[in-house]
Amino acid sequence: MNKTVTINISGIIFHIEEDAYDKLSKYLSTIKGYFSKTDGGNEIMSDIEARIAEMLQSKTSAVKQVVLMADVDSVIEAMGKPEEFAEGHTEKEEQEDESFQSSEPIKKRLFRDPDNKAVGGVCSGIAAYFDVDIVWIRLAMFLLIFFGGLSLWVYIILWIVIPEAKTTAEKLAMRGEKIDINNISKTVKEEAEQLKQRAKKYGNDLKNNSQDFRNDSRNFFDKLGDFIKDFLIIFSKFFARIIGLVLLIFGVVFMLGLMSSVFGFSIAGTNTEFNDWVNIFFMDRSHYTMGLIGVSLFFGIPFIMMIYGGIKLLFKIHYSNRWLNISAGLVWFVGFIIVLFVGIKTGKDFGEAGKVKEPIKIETERDTLFLTLTKSKELYSRLNLNEEEYDDYDHEGNHVRIHKRHSDYVVANSDKNKLIVGYASLNILPASGDNFELYVIKKARGEDKRAAVARAKSIRYSISQNDSIISFDEIFTVDASNEKFRMQDIQVILKVPRGKVVHLDKSLDGFIYDVENVTNTYDGDMVGRRWIMNINGLECVDCEGIMFDDEHDLPKPPAPPAPPINVEASEANVNIGKDGIKINSKEANVHINDKGINIDTKGEKGEKGEKGGK
Amino acid sequence: MSVNSENTRAQMRKGVLELCILSILSKGDAYPTEIIDKLKETKLVVVEGTLYPLLTRLKNTGLLAYRWEESTSGPPRKYYKLTEIGEQYLKEVQQSWFELVDIVNKTIDQQKN
Repeated sequence: MNKTVTINISGIIFHIEEDAYDKLSKYLSTIKGYFSKTDGGNEIMSDIEARIAEMLQSKTSAVKQVVLMADVDSVIEAMGKPEEFAEGHTEKEEQEDESFQSSEPIKKRLFRDPDNKAVGGVCSGIAAYFDVDIVWIRLAMFLLIFFGGLSLWVYIILWIVIPEAKTTAEKLAMRGEKIDINNISKTVKEEAEQLKQRAKKYGNDLKNNSQDFRNDSRNFFDKLGDFIKDFLIIFSKFFARIIGLVLLIFGVVFMLGLMSSVFGFSIAGTNTEFNDWVNIFFMDRSHYTMGLIGVSLFFGIPFIMMIYGGIKLLFKIHYSNRWLNISAGLVWFVGFIIVLFVGIKTGKDFGEAGKVKEPIKIETERDTLFLTLTKSKELYSRLNLNEEEYDDYDHEGNHVRIHKRHSDYVVANSDKNKLIVGYASLNILPASGDNFELYVIKKARGEDKRAAVARAKSIRYSISQNDSIISFDEIFTVDASNEKFRMQDIQVILKVPRGKVVHLDKSLDGFIYDVENVTNTYDGDMVGRRWIMNINGLECVDCEGIMFDDEHDLPKPPAPPAPPINVEASEANVNIGKDGIKINSKEANVHINDKGINIDTKGEKGEKGEKGGK
Repeated sequence: MSVNSENTRAQMRKGVLELCILSILSKGDAYPTEIIDKLKETKLVVVEGTLYPLLTRLKNTGLLAYRWEESTSGPPRKYYKLTEIGEQYLKEVQQSWFELVDIVNKTIDQQKN
């Protein structure tokens, strides 16, 4: 179904399809432009129109009432293109044509200027539209290249969106009426006025209609429908420019964001550390590149279409390129498929979790285990990690990383290959039997359970024992040359039988993770102390009198009586206790308590002094 | 080369188009469509648009006159006819055309021999 327009050519009425009408009227105004300055221009015009009417009449009949695009095309072909009319002119007339200016202002439209073009005529078209010297536009375009190549793709979009001024009429419209604030406000006012009048008219129509509403209810709804339709059309016309501008701005901003992030990722691809991550994260390096392309297309195409639509609305370009829309849709779809493919491929490799539990025998008969940590610094040097990278992780000269743990991974270079380095953790649980039990739980993810378990097994981690001293590696490593990063993790579990004790070295701070204990002491406060496994769980052996952070708010238990302090000196024995201060020496015994000071010089021992005090 | 030749031929056609129109009208009045049909037989006119400015110019210089005639099938037709000046003009131009053709033919033949 197509909309038709009714026109009158040389007194004959034609029904003509809208797009055919556009073409015909453009054609006629072009011819008019040619002959308006010639003697008898109007006459020529009306002769031509009469001929066109005749030709169109021969193309319509009672059966085929509407003039179609093809009809207009054949008429134009027979009549000749405006350029061919120049043949009938003398050179003088042609010169006049070039300086020809219509007495009636022609509505200005944005076109590409093929006559002054350097590349696509975009700059010259814009210059003509805004009536500024082309040099400035070109300069601006050139300068914008330094903003992430902004103008390059903007130029390409404009090239696609803006139609080329092919006919003389289009070239006239390209230079047409000067665009300034007055003009724009005039257009806006006209459109607003149009809106108002339309609303008024329909308002009246409705009023009239409602009177004979009963007689003709169908008519009423028809009118209402028409009104809403018309209102929407005019309304959208009125706001088209504003919407266009908003679309354009957002499109450009989003596009810039996307470009800079994609650009950033591409640049980062040359950075070694980032590069390492790309290699160990994606199954294949091409997946990364594909992902980047896919994401660019998937997000970029809608942004470009926003800009495209925005420009079209803003400059009222009624020219749509079906081929462009279809190919944009296709390219977007390709981007979508690529993103999906890479996402599924990579995601699938993280799909299943697998773990292995490796028991480690503890060779000691003692009741207390001393747990300590082999710090990463030593491990790094054992791994021959190069100095520079070591500094990277430890630039302040101390173990910065030790406290930033869990889920922190590092890609490191050893002599032979690259390693994925992760941080292990330790948990302490009660044992069911009478012996210490030690387990290393290795975890990883993979395409399926088997792959995940195999991957977990390949994690390298070591614990060293020296009688009752157990030293845990702070880090575990994965050979990055034949393994990928798949959430590898190491959890060490030490099971302590009831009544036995573990001493947590201060170095374990950050290594023990969420260890449950009777007093709900934080991991960080547990280190440096001995803990005994009781029925209820781990209990601190040597924490008495020490206030932990989490106990501030609890009611303080009564302070236990302080143990007696004995000072053994060569001449005197000083005892400070609940009985007061007693000083015993060969010459005298001194006893100070709440009852006073008692001094016994008989050389007798403490018992006498006490008695004397009483 | 072909471009140049095309251009020259277009110029030649343009030059003789006026003469042809006058000649057609000397055999009887006609309206533009009839003129075009006759010219198309001789392949002198490529696009119809060329005709209208020419007719108007000839009319304005007084060589042609026109009258309106109602058409049963379309818009009213503008029938052109030669004025007396036009007939005089045509005779002169035809005379010089024949002379010109003669001279041109002789020149071409001489070059051949």
